[in-house]
Amino acid sequence: MSDEKHLNQAALSDLKDIMEDDFSLLVTTFIDDSILRLSDLTNAVNNGDADLLRETAHSFKGSSGNICAPILESLCNELESMGDGNQLEGVPVYLAKVQQEFTCVKSALESLIGK
Amino acid sequence: MDTVEPLKILIADDSNSDRLLLKAIVQNQGHEVVVAADGLETIEVYTREKPDIILLDALMPRMDGFEAAERIKAMSGEDFIPIIFLTSLKEADSLALCLEAGGDDFLTKPYNSVILKAKINAFNRMLKMHHTLQQQRDQIIVNNEHLIQEQEVAKRVFDKVAHAGCLHVKNINYSLSPLAVFNGDVLLAAVKPSGKIAVLLGDFTGHGLAAAIGAMPLAQTFYSMNAKGFGMKEILQEINSKLKDILPVGVFCCAGMMDLDLREKTVEVWNGGLPDCFLYRQSDLSYEVLPSCHLPLGVLSPKDFSCETQMLEMLDGDSLFMWSDGIIEATNPAGEMFGEQRLKTVFEEHRSAETLFKELEGRVNSFIGGSQRDDDLSVVEVVMVDKEEFEVENVLSNHKSYQGPMDWGMSYDVRPDTLREFNPLPVLLQILMDIPGLRSHSGEIYTVMSELYSNALDHGVLDLDSSMKSSTKGFAEYYQLRSKRLGELQEGYIRITMDYRGDDSNGLLTVTVQDSGKGFDISMQTDNDYKLDGYSGRGLPLLKSICNSVEYKGGGNEVEVKFQWSYNDSRKLA
Amino acid sequence: MSISAKTSGNGSELNISIEGRFDFSSHQEFRKAYEESGMAPNMYVVDMKEATYLDSSALGMLLLLRDHAGGDEAQVSIVNCNDDVKKILTISNFEQLFEIH
Repeated sequence: MSDEKHLNQAALSDLKDIMEDDFSLLVTTFIDDSILRLSDLTNAVNNGDADLLRETAHSFKGSSGNICAPILESLCNELESMGDGNQLEGVPVYLAKVQQEFTCVKSALESLIGK
Repeated sequence: MDTVEPLKILIADDSNSDRLLLKAIVQNQGHEVVVAADGLETIEVYTREKPDIILLDALMPRMDGFEAAERIKAMSGEDFIPIIFLTSLKEADSLALCLEAGGDDFLTKPYNSVILKAKINAFNRMLKMHHTLQQQRDQIIVNNEHLIQEQEVAKRVFDKVAHAGCLHVKNINYSLSPLAVFNGDVLLAAVKPSGKIAVLLGDFTGHGLAAAIGAMPLAQTFYSMNAKGFGMKEILQEINSKLKDILPVGVFCCAGMMDLDLREKTVEVWNGGLPDCFLYRQSDLSYEVLPSCHLPLGVLSPKDFSCETQMLEMLDGDSLFMWSDGIIEATNPAGEMFGEQRLKTVFEEHRSAETLFKELEGRVNSFIGGSQRDDDLSVVEVVMVDKEEFEVENVLSNHKSYQGPMDWGMSYDVRPDTLREFNPLPVLLQILMDIPGLRSHSGEIYTVMSELYSNALDHGVLDLDSSMKSSTKGFAEYYQLRSKRLGELQEGYIRITMDYRGDDSNGLLTVTVQDSGKGFDISMQTDNDYKLDGYSGRGLPLLKSICNSVEYKGGGNEVEVKFQWSYNDSRKLA
Repeated sequence: MSISAKTSGNGSELNISIEGRFDFSSHQEFRKAYEESGMAPNMYVVDMKEATYLDSSALGMLLLLRDHAGGDEAQVSIVNCNDDVKKILTISNFEQLFEIH
């Protein structure tokens, strides 16, 4: 998969304009937050905590949208819906997809800020 | 960076990256940003920073955005603090929840800086409008308080002016709201030096201070001129020209005025713009209608103003009613007006003059429904009564202790121009009324002065023969001739000399009137007083009945009268 | 309550029509009707055909119009008065100042 799909390049260039020098800070903040969220999501699955799953997926979804990562955003949306409907059976599969997608987004973003 | 008015905006979001982004967007738009990461912190920062707008994430730890919004709205009281919810919620229910919690709008993630800018600008306009409204409202409250305070002051001042009068006398019944002056209604009554009772009911256009403003000069002119003995026409003329001068075009005073003469049993009436006045006859329970024949006061310039009055006879017990349009326009709960016809019915059905006023008041009040008393009801009834009875009942008390000088004399010459145009009596009476104890004899003094003056003018200066007046035809001729001679008068004078001496207990006033006429042989006066003055059957005998002495002097063109009274009880001394 | 104005005779006459109650609330509208006509008519006609009632402030407004129209030289007529309206004008003897029909 190319970076093009993991990140919306047009929206991202607007984001760079908005953030100017703080763009790197935004990226690292997003990455740090996301790592915490992924661990919350794993805990939620292990403990069968649908509420934690829903809330974490919800805010992960919002942040992903803001960082211009559409696939990650829509995967989080799926997870949120599952938590909402208390249907945790398919969650581990989706959680794996989220983790995989995050890894791609992370490396794409890091390459943008020259890491 | 755009040039906008910088606002202080609170961003509350638990997501660090989202908060960072939003902060950058908002700062780029030129606003100051303060941040919070959860609901409790949001409230802390709100309290401390007093932001203009809050961007509030819905789902946050410790306290969610819904609760934070409710608390902030409750704390802000009447101040307007726009709250925009930040959410990636898409379901209609959740959005409704944001608005129910007191949110004013919402912004969905991912953020769109153009839309956010538009929203912030829109709320900024609303904030400004809200501030303007608040300021205007506060201003209105302050103004209203001022106005009420001013009205109270004005009312106190007006009450002082208006209460100089004699509305309390027994033959005047009236109904007037305590705040009538702010409805534009004015009711004044005064006893003149001659003993006549002057009453004026006025209704200014408009309401509030604008309506009250004309009442002051009206009342002051009315009282001061009546006290000086001016006639009704002169007073109306003066009030009209004063009101015309001071009131703006479009503000005027509908008014009715009367002079009730208890001695002659007549009433002089002028009605300019009030509804028909009613003269109620006790003898046959009938009534006469006295319609308005003139424009209201303050409309016409003095040269166009007509103060022509109507003279009517009144017997004891007859009464004259004047009212403002409030009584005719009094409205019942169904929206009907009391109207002229109902008013007439009250007069036609009623059988006793003594209770008519109460009956009328009762009928109007029960018509409009007792609960909502109409403040615009201004009615006055003036009853003709016996002069002696009136004077006994309304002892014109003399509270003044000794004030004026005890010993003085003065001489006052009236020459042709003045004789033609001017009545000097009010001025002279004004001086005499300052003499201690004399005010309670004002009626008698007025009679004496006016008899002396008109004798000197008519029979002295104008050389008119009083015997002319004994026939009806001669009566008219007499007055024609009088006005002709007065108009053509080139020379002549009347000299009035007044001398006052007082000791500890008594006062003595000596008045001498000398005229330029040819006089008469005074040796006749002791023999035949009545023949001498038979023209009116009243002149000289009247003077003699009032004064301690009346004496013609010199060539018969000079007469001296003496009047003596006691200070202690104001009693006249024989 | 509504007030409308129209000119006729090449702007030499201004016709002001009153509808409903003519009282203090019509003050602004009535003034506008003659002040904003932009003309200098030599004849003013106030049409009371649709007027149901007038109070003393309305009388004041009529005086203001008369003043605007030249005071004693003003030509202002008040037309189509119903009985109630006419009665109020008569009580105040306004026929001395206006032509009333």
